[in-house]
Formats: sequence, C-alpha cells, structure tokens
Amino acid sequence: MSRRTRAYPLVLPYAFLIVLAIGAAFPLLWIIISSVKSSTELAHDPLSFWPSDFTLEHYRHVLFDLGAIGNLGNSLVISLSTTVLTIAVSATGAYGIVRFFPRVGQRLTQLLISTYMFPPILLAVPYTAIMIALGLANTYVGLVLAYLSFSIPYAIWMLTAFYQTVPLEIEEAAQVDGAGKFRTFFSIASPIVLPGIVATAIYTFINSFNEFLYALLFINTTDRMPISVALYSLSGSEVLDWGAMMAACVIVVLPSVIFFLAIQKYIAAGLSEGSVK
Amino acid sequence: MGTRIQTLGKAAFVLPAMTVVLALLIYPVLSSVFFSFTDRNLLKAAYEFVGFQNFTIVLSNPEFWNAFSTSIRWTVGSILGQLLVGFLAALALERVPRLSGLFRTLLIIPWAFPAIVIGFSWKWILNDVYGFLPNLLTRLGFSEQNVSFLADPSVVFWAVLVINIWFGAPLFMVNILAALKTVPKDQQEAALVDGANIGQRFWFITMPHIRKVVGLLIILRTIWVFNNFELLFLITGGGPAGITTTLPIFAYRTGWGLHQLGMASAITVLLLLFLLAIASIAFRIINSGDRKALR
Repeated sequence: MSRRTRAYPLVLPYAFLIVLAIGAAFPLLWIIISSVKSSTELAHDPLSFWPSDFTLEHYRHVLFDLGAIGNLGNSLVISLSTTVLTIAVSATGAYGIVRFFPRVGQRLTQLLISTYMFPPILLAVPYTAIMIALGLANTYVGLVLAYLSFSIPYAIWMLTAFYQTVPLEIEEAAQVDGAGKFRTFFSIASPIVLPGIVATAIYTFINSFNEFLYALLFINTTDRMPISVALYSLSGSEVLDWGAMMAACVIVVLPSVIFFLAIQKYIAAGLSEGSVK
Repeated sequence: MGTRIQTLGKAAFVLPAMTVVLALLIYPVLSSVFFSFTDRNLLKAAYEFVGFQNFTIVLSNPEFWNAFSTSIRWTVGSILGQLLVGFLAALALERVPRLSGLFRTLLIIPWAFPAIVIGFSWKWILNDVYGFLPNLLTRLGFSEQNVSFLADPSVVFWAVLVINIWFGAPLFMVNILAALKTVPKDQQEAALVDGANIGQRFWFITMPHIRKVVGLLIILRTIWVFNNFELLFLITGGGPAGITTTLPIFAYRTGWGLHQLGMASAITVLLLLFLLAIASIAFRIINSGDRKALR
C-alpha cells in the first residue's frame, strides 16, 4: 500500500511534465531549426528536424538586405533609455515611499497597482493627441514617454519590496557618520538591493524591447521603427519570406529567453510578497 | 525652517515618480473620458462636444457586442486554461524529486516570448501549407488534408486559446510554485500523521496558504488578457470574419482605422468601466474570504 502510493504518483507528474515541456519548448526549437534550413527545404519538407543543407543565409538577408539591424539598433536605444529613466525615477520613488512616507506610500502603491487596470489602448488615444500637439509623433522621445506609463508603476512596485528589506540600522549608522539622505540612498541602501534593481532593469528592458502597440501607433517610418513593428510591417509588404522571418524571430527571442531565465525568481518573489501585504 | 527643508528633501525622492504617474496615467485617463464625449478625429485638430452620442452609437452597434462577447470568452477561456495547466505543473514540479530545475526552465520559455515572435512562430507552425502541425496531422492520418487552424472559422478560436494558454501558463506556474514554498512542511506532515488524504491535505493545508496569491494572480492576469491587443492582432489580426476581434482590436480599428478617436475613446472607457466593476467584485471576494478564514 505505502509502496504503491509512493511510486505510482511519481509516474504521473513526470509524464505530465515531459508532455508539457515538449509543448512549451517546441516553438523555440522549431523556429531555430527553420531559421537555418534553406528556402527549398522549408517549402518541400515541412517535417524534417535536421536541416539537410544548413545555412545562415536567412540571418544575413533579414539583418542586412531587409535592414533589421537598424531596427534592432532603434529597439536598443528606445529600451535602454526607457530602462535608465525608469530605474532612476522608480528607485528614488520606491526608497522615498519606504523610508519617508510609509503610510501614504501604501496608498500610493495601491494606486499604482490600480493603474495596471488602464487599458493600453485607452491611454493610446490621449497619447496620440498629446504627441500631435507637442510634435512628438514619430519620435523616440514620444515612444519612451509612452513606455514609462507601464514600466514605472511596475518598477516602483517591485523596488518597494526590495528597499523594505534594507535594515534601518545600517542607514542610521551612515547618517551618524554624516551622510545625507541622497548619499544614504545612493551608496548605502541601493548597493544592498542591487540584485533587485538589476532584475527590475532587465524586466523593464525586456518589456520595452517587446512592446508592440504603442510602437505601431506612434512610429510611422521604417527607419525609426523598433524591431517588433519593423517585422510586422515586413510581413505585410510582400510574399512572406518565412526563413528570414524565423531568423529575425530567433534574434529577438533568444536574448529575451536568456534574461528571463536569469531573473525569473525575482519576478515571482515580487508578486507573492506584494500580495501578503 | 530646518524641518521644512527636511520635508522638501524627502518629497524630492517621490516627486518625479508622482509627476510621471499624474502626467502619464491619471491625466490621460481623464482626457480619454473627455474625448469620449467629443467627435475627435485622428486627422483633424478641431472637435466638438457631442454628449452621449458616441456611447449610444457604440452600444447599439452589434459589432461592439460581438467584440465584447469574444473578449469575455477569450479571457475566461484563457485564464481557466492557464490556471489549470499552471497549477498542475506547479504541483507536479513540487512533487518530483529530480530534474525539477530542468523542467522548470523548459516550462518557463513561452513566457519570455515577445508578442511579435508568438505571432510569427505560431503562424509558421500552423501554416496550412508549410506548417509543422497541419502536415504532421495529415501524415499521421488524423486529417485528410492540412487543417488551416488560423483561417477555419470553426477551429480558429480554439487555436488562439491554446496559444494563449501556452503563453500564460508559465506565469501561473512560477507564482504558484513560489506560493507553495511558503506552505509550512510541518503542518503537511502533521496532517499526514493524522491520516489526512492527499485531497484533504491540499484543501485544508495548502489552499489557505496560497489562496491569496492565486486570487491576485487571477485578477491581474484577467485584466491583462482582457486589455491585451497584440496577441490576437499579431496571430489573426482579429479575423477570420471578425471571429477573434476583441474589444481592444475593435477600438483600434475604430480609432486608427476609421480615424474616429472620440468613438474609440468611448469604447475604451466602457472597457475600463467593465474591468473596474469586475475587479472590485473580485477583490471583495478575496477579502471576504479573509474574514471567513479569521473566524
């Protein structure tokens, strides 16, 4: 009896996990395989797992002939700017909430969480009007501002949880030694929560790199498009070159997967800690 | 004097964040409500106040109600599926003694997929000529000719539902797994000694500890899926024949396709009102459960 209850339940979870893992990982595997097959093979042998004539031609084609390398550069500029601004504003904000306004702060974090409810497409209407009025349509500045609307609330929420873990005594010791508020924040508290800041920064970066709706609405010329919208506009223009699209997809998804796996535990920690309060 | 400078110094920390929230979130929402009462056009600067006209037109438009019903079916189906798969995966990962790290890593992959890559990779896998899955099903004899998953009106909704479950289940899994780790082992063991079966242990020991995280997850992800535009837009574009047109896609077409920004505002304001109502009910349920648990 006890042997059965011990051995039997293990077969089921393993079988379940194997099926799920295949389903979860297959699309990534398949786009990688497809990206290195020749166009002829893609058209004639849709089930082959091992590329019969391995080629990197699709990567060359999409990066240089179709100009994706420029769009990747745009994405990099836009996402890095968003990340730097988000961390600067959110780290000071989160620290201020935790240290100086803990009571109002709780209300404020609640307000921030409730802004999560605002549909991006709802914000898009006033953003469009504002950008036309301020001449920010089709500029990086306009797009980065729009990205701050979703990145900052989430970053503050994550970072408040991290700054709460900093022991007050360490900061008091620093203040006795004559460090001002900003000094204490910058050289005492922030280094302690650096892993959290890095995780938040990576998360912000991935989210802005992957954003699609605002980029679609606010950027209209190919030379300024981030990669997500550039790929979308490519798909509409001509007969779809699937090999090239798969190569582009691999270039976009691989860094995202690697970074995600690196910071996954912080993202989960944010939610389970935040919900306890 | 000194305290005033102190307060100013403290306020300086939170001021940038508050400015951003006011300028980029609060003001635009109010502005959107304002636009919903105007005939604002994407291509014209001038606009007029039209009262409730946008709302009466939208609410009597069958396309709006179709999109609304699609949104609800899409959200409920996706969240139920993601919750079920994510929950079972988390329980399975908790249970297995070996390789759980490897499985966890593999299972998280879909979560890292950008919408644009989800769109293209699944369109490629499901492509009715070159796609892996339709060709596999035909080769194995399950279908006589390749199924066009994203064009056939009778299967497209199920296909996009499965794609969204594939994408969203890892998030549930990771968060539920983190919550499961907070369940005290000694309580589990005590219950085991007392002869509680697996179902009883789950319901009376595990559930009370993870209930709040799971509830919050459901609310947050429901909001996210309901508001999401990219996934369906990039996989099906809302088609075929409007079968996968949700409210955000409908609002997008109205505002940026037909240039009727005022009308689009009315649609999105209705969307937000609906979400607010749902969320306030949901939060009340979570909190009332709290009080029951205390008694």
